[in-house]
Amino acid sequence: MLSVSGLHAVRAGRTILHPTSLDIAPGERIGLVGASGSGKSTLGHVLIDELRSRGCRVAHVCQSPDEALDPLRSMRFHWHEAERALGLELGAIDKNTLFTSLKIADGDLRKRPWGWSRGMQQRFVIAMALISSPDLIVLDEPSSALDPVVAAATMDLLDQHLEGKETAMILITHDLGLAARRVSKLMVMETGRIVEQAPTEKILQHPQTRAARSLVAHRSWIKLPC
Amino acid sequence: MLRVDQVTVKRGSSFALEDISLSLAPGRTLAVVGESGAGKSTLIVTILGLVKPWKGDITWAGDSVTSCAPALVMQEPRAAFNPLLSLHRSVMEPMAARKEVASSERIARLCDGLELSRDIFDRRPGEVSVGQAQRAAIFRALIAAPTLVLLDEPLSALDAVTQKHTAKLIADLQREEGFAALIVTHDLGYAMAHADEIAVLKSGRIEEISHPEIFAKAPRSDYCRKLRDAAVALGALEISE
Amino acid sequence: MIKDLMGFVLRAVVVLSGTALATFVLLWHAPGDPAQAIAMARFDALLTEDVIDQVREEAGLNAGFWTAFRAWVGPLLTLDFGRSAVTGRAVWPDLLVAIRYMLPLALAGLAIGLAISLSLAIVAVKRPGGWLDRFAIAIASLGTAIPAYWLGLLLILLFAVHLAWLPAMGARTPEHVILPALTLGLGVAASLTRIIRSGILEARGQSFLPAIRRRGVSSRGIDRDHIAPHAAIPVVTVFGLELAFLLEGVVMVEVIFGRPGLGTFLVTAIHARDFPQVQAVIVLTALMFVTVNLLIDVVYRVIDPRIGARDA
Repeated sequence: MLSVSGLHAVRAGRTILHPTSLDIAPGERIGLVGASGSGKSTLGHVLIDELRSRGCRVAHVCQSPDEALDPLRSMRFHWHEAERALGLELGAIDKNTLFTSLKIADGDLRKRPWGWSRGMQQRFVIAMALISSPDLIVLDEPSSALDPVVAAATMDLLDQHLEGKETAMILITHDLGLAARRVSKLMVMETGRIVEQAPTEKILQHPQTRAARSLVAHRSWIKLPC
Repeated sequence: MLRVDQVTVKRGSSFALEDISLSLAPGRTLAVVGESGAGKSTLIVTILGLVKPWKGDITWAGDSVTSCAPALVMQEPRAAFNPLLSLHRSVMEPMAARKEVASSERIARLCDGLELSRDIFDRRPGEVSVGQAQRAAIFRALIAAPTLVLLDEPLSALDAVTQKHTAKLIADLQREEGFAALIVTHDLGYAMAHADEIAVLKSGRIEEISHPEIFAKAPRSDYCRKLRDAAVALGALEISE
Repeated sequence: MIKDLMGFVLRAVVVLSGTALATFVLLWHAPGDPAQAIAMARFDALLTEDVIDQVREEAGLNAGFWTAFRAWVGPLLTLDFGRSAVTGRAVWPDLLVAIRYMLPLALAGLAIGLAISLSLAIVAVKRPGGWLDRFAIAIASLGTAIPAYWLGLLLILLFAVHLAWLPAMGARTPEHVILPALTLGLGVAASLTRIIRSGILEARGQSFLPAIRRRGVSSRGIDRDHIAPHAAIPVVTVFGLELAFLLEGVVMVEVIFGRPGLGTFLVTAIHARDFPQVQAVIVLTALMFVTVNLLIDVVYRVIDPRIGARDA
């Protein structure tokens, strides 16, 4: 169980994250949802820093692969760099299993990121995040820069890969519709605070706060009877 | 009425768009969906006349499209504004071009609907968030009561709740003023909720044009089914039994 | 790749024939009587009209422009630079000697320039806006503002005259190269410092760096593997221009320090209106430019293959 308390953040004299506590069970899937500027990403970063300082293994995946990969460096370079950063021997991790389960096994590692499709780049970033079988993986809007078809496939592959593993997941997103299908527990943020947290079903059925009600009301574009 | 008649656009030795035909009547909305690189944005610049079609015609009421002064919302919100001018100067350009002044009711209506506070208009594009810039771009497109509006991923930088509010404002104004809207989006949910017709573009060709409900219930091609399932998987669309 | 190579050869041909024609035209139409200048250089005395006419005849100067041009270009196509109008000796061996003197100077100048600018820029970007940074920028601006002939004289005054540590004139010992190379290097450093500095600062702003840092990569690793390649791109771009600056500097510095070399060779040849010699230097310089720019193109594609991929 990962427990942290007293997480907070101040930027330019303004409190952007009020003191916050979190408990994350192994293998748990948590959705951190809220409007733009509610402090979701900040909480993610502060949480990662705190857990890292305690020696936990935490991985982070950001919105777009452009923000994670150096266009001048080959995929193999990125992979070795990530291994070295974790203090591993080169090639110590069996990347084939990981690559196969994320469906990037046929990518050419000698190429640079822009030689791969964006969906494959993002799955490569996720693979790098999973190298060390981390205690927690934090995904910050992992699908919003991808094509819907690719984004859905990426999320499904990650779900399947994490199935039955100890690695906990925090999915940060503004889109409750996306989170609702992927996580078992939701935390709703507003102006730098977690204002509501409960199992996903419960929030979808009975949102308590204004922020949660608004997210629930607008969680999808349209409901179609079929 | 916008008519795109058998338009083909070349890119190098291949085609960016191939044999595209579609029409859009005043008061109606056409959504163009498809994967990145399918030619969605090329379609918009071609309609605007910025790219010359290799074959085919594009007309608005029998005349060139520029004759109706189409309004445009570009994909990169911040790049859509002159970085040296205040947003106020930029968003009022369509009015200045007509030598008119926007009524304060209209400004208030747009600001409320887009959840924009007035003070951001004094800032420059670099001093506002991408989401604010995107809504300011929509403000600029709608301020002068246009007859044709072209929107390229108009909601991409907004959060899920603001997206829905913004889409509602565009739809409300359209109902009152009767402009034609062409929306390029990768969000099938948005397209389903607000378009009268959906065109699916794949590698430069139209795969299917149909009514949203038909699209949702019985997509005609494999690719269209994939698109629909992805929208469901991402929570943009809910299909209940 | 073959297409690129063809492009290079074509560019080289255009540049070389262009410069050859342009210099020939300029020399031909320069004010004064070339025959008189050549004769003066040959005999180093006041001369009668007969002698000058004879020289004019010998140097082919009364044949008219196109005949003279053809007489020069023809052998050049077989890499024959001809014979000096003054001494009558073949141009190429003399030119080779001049190059042998010039090369160590140019390379040393370049090395000094790179060493100074790299270390200055790296120190400067430790804390952008800090006093070290401002100091580095100030030095660089000062360096750009000071012309080589003045800087050279200052260095001679300080190190050769007052301190008497180093020789000022000539090229007898390796020590003789120090002051001229320093003069040259300081000029190069002045302009490179700013470019390296802004290159590093810009590379630091790349959007993917925070993610790499969060993956646990050390800041030393990031500097070496990510910032350096990105910062190198603008530096490589400027390097081609820097070469022009360097050659210009070499000419000046050789004259100031009384060194034999390409610059001195060129200046003497111009004074004497020794067409074959001047032309040889110009063609060689142009060839050097074209080659360096080709190398820069290649280096670009090694650092950032997107450049090649985009063209295809």
